Amino acid sequence: MSNEKSGGAGSVVLIVVAFGIALAVFYGLNHFIMNIQGLPLNWDLTPAG
Amino acid sequence: MSFKRVSKLGCIRSFSAFIGAFLLALLIVGVTVPSVSVAAGVSDTLEERISPMGRVHIEGDDSFEPAVKTEASEAEEVVPYQMKKPSRSDYPDIGVSSRAVVWILAQLHLFFGALVLAIPLFVLVIELVGFRTGDERYDSMAHEFMKISLTGFSITAIIGGALAFALFTLYPDLMAYLTHVFGAQMLVYASLFFFESFFLYTYYYGWNAMRYGNLKWLHLTLGLLLNAAGMTIMVMANSWATFMMAPSGVNEVGQVVGNIWEVMKGPLWNPINLHRFIANIAFGGAVVGAYAAFKFLSTRDPEKRAHYDWMGYTSNFIAILSFLPLPFAGYWLMAEIYAYSQQMGITAMGGILAWLFIVQAVLIGTILLAANYYLWAGMSRTEGSERYKPLIKMIAFVLVVCFLIWVTPHTLILSASEIAALGGSHHHLLGPLGIMPAKNIAVNLMLIVTFLSFQLYRRSDKVATVSWAPFGNALMVAIYVVAMVNVIFAGVYYGYFTNTVYKVGSSVMQVSSTLVVIVVGITLDAFLFKGAKTLPSYWGKVPDRAQYALFALPVAFTWLMGLMGYVRSSVKTHWHVYTVMKDNSPDNFIPTIGYAGNMITLVTVLFLILVLFMFWIANLSATKQPKPAVSADGGAA
Repeated sequence: MSNEKSGGAGSVVLIVVAFGIALAVFYGLNHFIMNIQGLPLNWDLTPAG
Repeated sequence: MSFKRVSKLGCIRSFSAFIGAFLLALLIVGVTVPSVSVAAGVSDTLEERISPMGRVHIEGDDSFEPAVKTEASEAEEVVPYQMKKPSRSDYPDIGVSSRAVVWILAQLHLFFGALVLAIPLFVLVIELVGFRTGDERYDSMAHEFMKISLTGFSITAIIGGALAFALFTLYPDLMAYLTHVFGAQMLVYASLFFFESFFLYTYYYGWNAMRYGNLKWLHLTLGLLLNAAGMTIMVMANSWATFMMAPSGVNEVGQVVGNIWEVMKGPLWNPINLHRFIANIAFGGAVVGAYAAFKFLSTRDPEKRAHYDWMGYTSNFIAILSFLPLPFAGYWLMAEIYAYSQQMGITAMGGILAWLFIVQAVLIGTILLAANYYLWAGMSRTEGSERYKPLIKMIAFVLVVCFLIWVTPHTLILSASEIAALGGSHHHLLGPLGIMPAKNIAVNLMLIVTFLSFQLYRRSDKVATVSWAPFGNALMVAIYVVAMVNVIFAGVYYGYFTNTVYKVGSSVMQVSSTLVVIVVGITLDAFLFKGAKTLPSYWGKVPDRAQYALFALPVAFTWLMGLMGYVRSSVKTHWHVYTVMKDNSPDNFIPTIGYAGNMITLVTVLFLILVLFMFWIANLSATKQPKPAVSADGGAA
C-alpha cells in the first residue's frame, strides 16, 4: 500500500518535472525565435516592441 | 537467356539516354549566341558591375540609357549585347498553343527529373545501412529501387531533349537571351549528363560485381558521384527558373553586369534548391511505394508479399519523413518571394492564384490522411501495437478537424442574395478560419500528429528496457502537449490580437515548435530503445486496402507538384524574365484555373502512364520465358 502510494507520487513528480522541462524549453524557444527576428517579447509573452 | 534480355534492355536504355543527352547538348551548343558580355567593357569594381535598379525603363522609349556605361576601350570598340525585345511575330505559330506544348514537356521532364534525382539519394543511404548492418535485404531492396528508376533516366533524357527543342524553336529570343546570360554554364550542364550517365550505369550494372569488402566502398563512391552529378544538374537548372522569376547579375535592360555566380545566386535560388531537394525525395519515395504496393497485390507468395510489404513501408517512411519539413521550405520560398517583390507575392497568395492554395490544402490533406492510414493499418503487423490503438481515434479527429480548417476559404464567390443570406461577404464563424493564422495552426498540428502516428508505429514492436524509460515517455508526452498548446497559442494570440509583424513572426515560432517535436522524438527514441526488447512483426500481414493508400500518395504528390509548378511559373505574369524581358507571345497571360486544372490533370495522367510503363519494364527484366518443350518430330510442341 505504502509502496503503491510512493509509486503514484513518484509518477506525479515525474510528470510535473517532464512538463516543467517542456514548458521551459518552449518558453525559451518563443523568446529566442522572436528575438532573432527583431520582435522582442515581454516576460508574459506579450509583444515588447 | 534472361541475362541477354536484361542486357538488351540495358542497351536500349543507355542508348536512348545518350541520344537524349546528346540532343540536348547539340541544341544548346548550336544556338549559343556568340556575344561579348558587357562586363568585359567595363571596370571590374563591384559598384560599377552591379547597377542600381532605381530607374524605370519605359517600353518604346529609345532615349533610355542603362545605368552601367559601356564605354569602349581605346584599342577596340566593344559592342554591348542588346537583348532583343520579341514582338508577336517573333513567336512561331505552330497551330496549337506553344505554351501548352512547353508546359506539358517541361512538367513531364520535371516529374521524371525529380524521380531519377531522388531515388539514387535514398538508394545510397539504404545501401550504406545494408553495408554497415550486414543485412543483405537492404542491399537487395536498394538494387531493386535502382532497377525501377533506370527506365526513368532514359525517359527524362528523351523528354529533356524534346523540351530543349521545343523551347529553342518556339521561344527563340528568350532562349537566345538565356544562353547569352548563362553562356558556358549551359555547356557544363549538358556535359554533366554524360558524367551522370557514366556513374548511373556503372553504379547499377556494377552492383553485384562490387558487393562486398573494399569493392563495396568503390561502389558507394560511384553512387555518391552519381548523386553529386545529379544534384549539380538540379541546382543549375533551378538557377534558370529562378533567374526568370527574380533576375540577378543583369541590369534593367538585361545586360549582364555580374559574373555567372552573381547571375545564378538570385534571391530565390537557395529556397527553390532546398524545396525541390526535399520534395524530390518525398516524391521519389511515394512513387517507389506504389511499385511495392503493385507488386504486393499482384503476388500470393507469402515470401514475396513480406518483401514488398517491407519495401512499401520503407518507401512510405522515406516519403513522409521528407514530406514533414517540406511546408517549412515552402514557407521560406514564399517569404523570399514576398521579400523580393510584394507584388509577386500578392499575385501568388492574394489574387486569382490564392484559390489554388485551397486546392493545395486538399491535396496535402489527402497525402497526410493516406500516409497516416497506411501507418495505422500497418500496425496490425505487430502485437505490440494494441497499446497504442486508442490514440489512433484522437489522431484521426485532429487530422480531420485541421483538414477542414485548412480547406476553409477566406473569400467566397457569392451572388447578392447569398451575401444577404450570409450577412456579409464573410461568414462570421468561418471567416476567421480562412486566414493564415488558422491555416498555420492546422498545418502544424497535422504535421505533429502525423509524426505521432509515425512514432507510435516505430515503437509498436519494441519495449524499452532502459531504467529511465518512464521519465523518457513522460517527457515525450509533455513535449507533444506543450508543443501543440504553443502552436495554438501563437496562432490565436499573435495571429488575431497583435500587429501584422508579430503575426508573421509567430509563424516561425509555430514551425520551430513542430521541428522540436520531430527532432526530440527521433533523438529520444534512439536512446530510449537502445537494447530494447523486440516484439515479433509479421511482414506481409497487412490488409490489402493499406496498399491503396500507397497508390494515393504518388497521384496526390504528382498533381500537387503540377499545381504548384503552375503557381510558381504564373507569378511572373506577362514577363519571360521578370521586369527585364516581356512576354509578347499570344499566351502572355495567367491561364484560368479551369484551364490550368485540365493541363495539370493531363500531365499527371501522362506521367502515371509512363510510370506504369517503367514498372512494366522493371517487371519484364525479371521475367523468364520457359523453354518450349520439343515435340517428337523436332518442332516446338
